[in-house]
Amino acid sequence: MSKESLSSRVSNWFKDRLGLDDLPLFKTPDYMFHVNEWLGALVAGAFFYTVISGLILLLYYNPEAGYDATETIINTVPYGSVFLYSHLYGSYAMIILAYIHMFRNYFTGAYKKPRELLWIFGVLMLVLTLGASFLGYSLIGDVLATSAVDVGAGIISSVPQLSFLLPILFGNYDSGDFTRVLAWHIILVALIGFLFVFHLLMAERYGMMPSRKVKPKAPAVYTKEEDQKFNPWWPRNFVYMMSLIFLTWGFIIAIPNALAYLNGLPQELDPFLNPKPAPPPSSPLAAQVTTYPPWFFLFVYKIADFTSDVVLFLLIGVIIPLVYLLLVPFIDRTDELHPLKRRVFTGIGILMITYLVQTSIWGDIQPGIQVSVAEQVLAYLPPAIIVAIGMAFLPYREKGSTRTKVPMFKKAQFSSPIAVLLFMILAMLMAGAATLFLASPSPLSAAIFLPILSLFVFYAKALTPVAIKAMPQGDSSASDSTSETINSTDVIKLERKKRIATYMIGVLLIMSAIIAADMWTIPSTGFESNMWGIDLGLLFIMLGEAISLYHYVVYKKPNESYE
Amino acid sequence: MLSFHSKKGDKKVLSPDEFHFIRELTFAIRNKGFDPKEFVKKGDSYLFNFAEKNTSGIDEKRRNFLKAMVIGVGVVTVAGIIPGLRVLVPPNVSAVSSFPKSVLLNSSGSPLKASSISVNSPIIMLFNYPLSGEPNFLLNLGDSSGKPVEVPSSTVTVPQTGDKYTFPGGVGPNKSIVAYSAICQHLGCKPPFIHFYPPKYLTPAQLTAPEPDTLTAEALASAKSAKAPAIIHCDCHGSTYDPYHGAQPLTGPTVRPLPTVLLEWDSSTDYLYALGSLGVGIYPEGANGVPSKNPTVDLSSNFGSSVGDKTEVKEAENPFSS
Ligand code: FES
Repeated sequence: MSKESLSSRVSNWFKDRLGLDDLPLFKTPDYMFHVNEWLGALVAGAFFYTVISGLILLLYYNPEAGYDATETIINTVPYGSVFLYSHLYGSYAMIILAYIHMFRNYFTGAYKKPRELLWIFGVLMLVLTLGASFLGYSLIGDVLATSAVDVGAGIISSVPQLSFLLPILFGNYDSGDFTRVLAWHIILVALIGFLFVFHLLMAERYGMMPSRKVKPKAPAVYTKEEDQKFNPWWPRNFVYMMSLIFLTWGFIIAIPNALAYLNGLPQELDPFLNPKPAPPPSSPLAAQVTTYPPWFFLFVYKIADFTSDVVLFLLIGVIIPLVYLLLVPFIDRTDELHPLKRRVFTGIGILMITYLVQTSIWGDIQPGIQVSVAEQVLAYLPPAIIVAIGMAFLPYREKGSTRTKVPMFKKAQFSSPIAVLLFMILAMLMAGAATLFLASPSPLSAAIFLPILSLFVFYAKALTPVAIKAMPQGDSSASDSTSETINSTDVIKLERKKRIATYMIGVLLIMSAIIAADMWTIPSTGFESNMWGIDLGLLFIMLGEAISLYHYVVYKKPNESYE
Repeated sequence: MLSFHSKKGDKKVLSPDEFHFIRELTFAIRNKGFDPKEFVKKGDSYLFNFAEKNTSGIDEKRRNFLKAMVIGVGVVTVAGIIPGLRVLVPPNVSAVSSFPKSVLLNSSGSPLKASSISVNSPIIMLFNYPLSGEPNFLLNLGDSSGKPVEVPSSTVTVPQTGDKYTFPGGVGPNKSIVAYSAICQHLGCKPPFIHFYPPKYLTPAQLTAPEPDTLTAEALASAKSAKAPAIIHCDCHGSTYDPYHGAQPLTGPTVRPLPTVLLEWDSSTDYLYALGSLGVGIYPEGANGVPSKNPTVDLSSNFGSSVGDKTEVKEAENPFSS
């Protein structure tokens, strides 16, 4: 190859100077370009966004006047509310994604040899994330935050041996000095970053969990020789990762800024969705606020209603689940990976999720209402019985048994030229409705915008299978091909889809240009600045989508299906 | 090795697309250096890469075009972010160089009518002015029978320095409405520790009342000798101020009067406006021994941000239990 294009020369220059080929980066097999395998990247994306926005907030936050500083950031700092709200939602996203990431790996048995330490670091990072989120939430200084700290401090101080922790953790929080809470918030986040480095290095060292079809038993790792054949990290892996990270950022920024418009959410939804601070504790309005803990601690607070014995409560709510998660690689020592061959552990996992969700919702609906033992049994026994029965009797079928995949709907019908035309029209309508919604946010314009948006997303999903969900290529008769045959219709179908994807990148380019131009006209403070936030979120979503489409067009091969 | 399936059995006819592709591919295999040995070695992926490169699949040109478009979206995103960099420029809160003219609002957000303020109200009425961190009392003064009294202009002395200034008197329909800083000049206690005692509560009964309503005997005596029907008293250390005479100190330990807020009453609308501040600087300005003679120090940003052209009067609480 004597004449290389400029772009590949630039790409090679970086590859060479950064030594990308020599770094211990995992090479990725084709079938892994699917979001399920990349949940960790989503968590990391949320983490980085939260760190960046947090550092911006740090320029303004004053721990000696927490509530006032929060208000100042929202009201007077240019785009302050955009960054504050998305910082909050970035941490929400990180918590939710971390749970999903953890439980997915739990059910695939990813904690088994040789990934035990990887798993343990992950669990520790989850704990640190919850802690950092709690402290960050306390920094707002509104009545919700201060009462959350009060309850938290109350729990700690009711164990006499632990009360020495209070001044260490909170300092003079009660008298309005948040310096310590801010410092701990930053320290915990720094610790997450520190553990993340090791977590990532180990993940690259052992690679992502291979499909059970390929490696049915632990230790599930690819050998060096197998690894060599896969896609190198640069550029395919990198491109795919960037698309996911930008999509994550887009949603983190767009959602809270859109929600900032919606006032008067019902109380049950309020602590989950409203990014605005509540009144300060000293305000007369504070009396009317039902105090909630941050939603990610609702389950702990609800367990506090179960028993007045704090030690017991800490055991049930915190210590036992945590110790279990930390030790599970050493308890579950078989080399089986299939969930139905680890029935006890699968059952425990399902119950943990069920109880977590159940208790959180309960805590949201009936915060602080005492629960008798009988009620506890009534609430928690049935899921346990159902799971136990299910685990005991669910049949395990060896693979290779006849299992016909029935597609949910025929995807091919979306890729006809007429469908593309329809999609273009829809895209235009979407842009129009978005502008209308941004210009005059009202329930009416939202009612117009949201259905069109969902239709647009649905279409985009159908047309860009790899972006959001991997789609088995070809039809069912082709996908069971264990032989080496290549179906020419597959190639042609893929080619057609790639052409559509190309047009869509064009549409995205035009739409993002319109939005970016709009962003220059939006005032930097006040209510309207959240419009800028929505626009910024949309831009990142479009950028992520464009990169994802690019990845699809350039790298997608006809024979790579999700395994 | 390479077989073309036909799903629909006999009836399947090659579509023009497929036909075109096959022609291109066979042409390429013949003429563009397809290496059968490599194919045997590498299998599928070699063929795909070959097909991509040499048919109208993803050739270099198309790839570059795509790249350009994606980079275009990236550049546009950066262009959209650029105005957001203003987040790094701190808003200039200390830029308040003069007192704003702020209309006083009631709690529902409409302008407060001067005639609606009850006379000698025990409820602590506060508004922030000129900055968001600077609370002030709003008082409608009356005599002991609850009738509004005209508060005349008077000369106020700052005991600490001996400086004098002229307090302009009350405003409103009865010239009975006055406003003073609600931060004690002694050590900065705030309401409810410092608040107004209407004539009803200026009795020896308050000597034994619980905090924050305890009066000292000294305060009672000084009010009597100054003929003040009501006083402002700070429960922290017992400073007493005379609201009828520009919050002139009656008893220590304070050595400075409470700064006055200049009010204006619009007789046609019955609205009240805050215009500025008079006397000494709001506490803690001058607390280091030398009082500030210049009330504009109240505008320094560490008290918060400017209240702008309106400020809400909050009826904070009634400190008296009975
Ligand atoms: S602070 Fe008011 S008397 Fe000391």
